Amino acid sequence: MAVSAFLTGVGLTPFGRLPGRDSQDWQCAAAQIALDDAGLDPLRIGAVIAGYSTVSGHLMPANVVAERLGVRPEVAFGMSVGGATGLAMVAQAASLVASATAEHVLVVAGENRASGQSSTTSTKILAQVGHAHYEVPLGGTVPAYYALLASRYLWSHGLDDAALAPLPVQMREHAVATVGAHFRQPITVADVLSSRPVAEPLRLLDCCPVSDGGAAFVVSRAPTSERSLSIVGVGQGHRHQHLSALDPEDTGAARAAGAALRQAGLDLAEVDVFGIYDSFSITVAMIMEELGLAPPGRAGAYARAGAFQADGRHPLNTHGGLLSYGHSGVAGGMAHLAEVAGQLRGERGAAQVSDCEVGYVHADGGVLSAHVGVVLRKGSQP
Amino acid sequence: MSRHHDDWTHGEPRLVLGVCDDCENRWYLPRDHCPRCGSGRSSSRQSSGDGLCVAVTRSHVTGEVGGAPLSLALVQLDEGPVVMGRVRDELVPGDRARVEFVPDGTGTALVPSFSRRALT
Ligand SMILES: [Zn+2]
Repeated sequence: MAVSAFLTGVGLTPFGRLPGRDSQDWQCAAAQIALDDAGLDPLRIGAVIAGYSTVSGHLMPANVVAERLGVRPEVAFGMSVGGATGLAMVAQAASLVASATAEHVLVVAGENRASGQSSTTSTKILAQVGHAHYEVPLGGTVPAYYALLASRYLWSHGLDDAALAPLPVQMREHAVATVGAHFRQPITVADVLSSRPVAEPLRLLDCCPVSDGGAAFVVSRAPTSERSLSIVGVGQGHRHQHLSALDPEDTGAARAAGAALRQAGLDLAEVDVFGIYDSFSITVAMIMEELGLAPPGRAGAYARAGAFQADGRHPLNTHGGLLSYGHSGVAGGMAHLAEVAGQLRGERGAAQVSDCEVGYVHADGGVLSAHVGVVLRKGSQP
Repeated sequence: MSRHHDDWTHGEPRLVLGVCDDCENRWYLPRDHCPRCGSGRSSSRQSSGDGLCVAVTRSHVTGEVGGAPLSLALVQLDEGPVVMGRVRDELVPGDRARVEFVPDGTGTALVPSFSRRALT
């Protein structure tokens, strides 16, 4: 199958509590890195897609960032699909270049969510992914929604509260070696279990932090260098919005992955490196299991056995994921793709996965509500 | 056709379900069309309020400064749909649960609250 879209530029800033930049500052910083990486002048960009920022809340995020970067695109729009926004923008960019609407599309997101917003405000804004009349008035928050998923998961598989803890421990182990990660101090299962309860059974270390930071990509109709990667498949699944309507057997994750892999003409077994959304320990466990990368109820045990290390069976989130690289809103879910791109380019040094040809990246938004999967392949032969 | 919201969200102490007139699929959150068969014809039915508790969380984050911890549950009603509610007393996944309506929550007079129910 002829490849019709290429990842030509990757930009990822450090994540953390890094005061001094606002949302547009983070977006432009990341966009500049991506443009330099692609070797493109801003005026070559034909379309700009920008993710929402909960801090700036601007109605026209793509136009704001385009003006500041000196881009005058033919197409510009903002997108919001929660945590899936970053990959949904990449999917949209791929279709814009495939249809020849643009030669080069800039995809960008970033915000100062950690230093520019109180944690109470953050919690309140994010809680709105719950139902305004049937869930939020009960005191629902995003950690509580995912805690309910975790409670159901642990109960239905007969597991105890320690079952998910190896997942954040593994993510932290990856982040220890990653420059730019929000948290780089090693942690143990005992640390996870003794961290303060946030929404039981989830504890602080089961939850990703709130970070400042930005991420950007350039998606092009043709490669711009040997480092360009092929976007060989995208797939989505949108089965519900609210937790009360979620089917734990079919959240949409496997549908998204299946569609992306079918388009790529590849099997899951052919994927060498994974970047899977991990807003909470339970998030990545449920997605990995629905995709078939771990048997039901076994994602934590797989992590404990080393299956998700760089030299493990399914190298996973080798930058540290949302749980440890950090979560700066839309940019948080883009960091997984930036990492997988780094792996496919063979540029990850000590963290490099060997013989890395194919990568799969997956993001979810809401309460496992919106799913987007992207398959990347090394090499850029059109 | 959207169902009439004469349930707890509008001050009536009851859980109301949507039932598809064409395939009998049932749901809790308001829907204009059946997600299974696409039918736009549906009716409302009051739930018995009994079901199986499938998840519980004790949440220490509430979105309010200094908000007290609260407990939430998911209960799969005997009619099928899953409902989120507060928890009264002790409740763990696997328990039979029954709904009551109590003044609580962050913006409504009455909210569904589940408690353990002995098998009768
Ligand atoms: Zn129906």
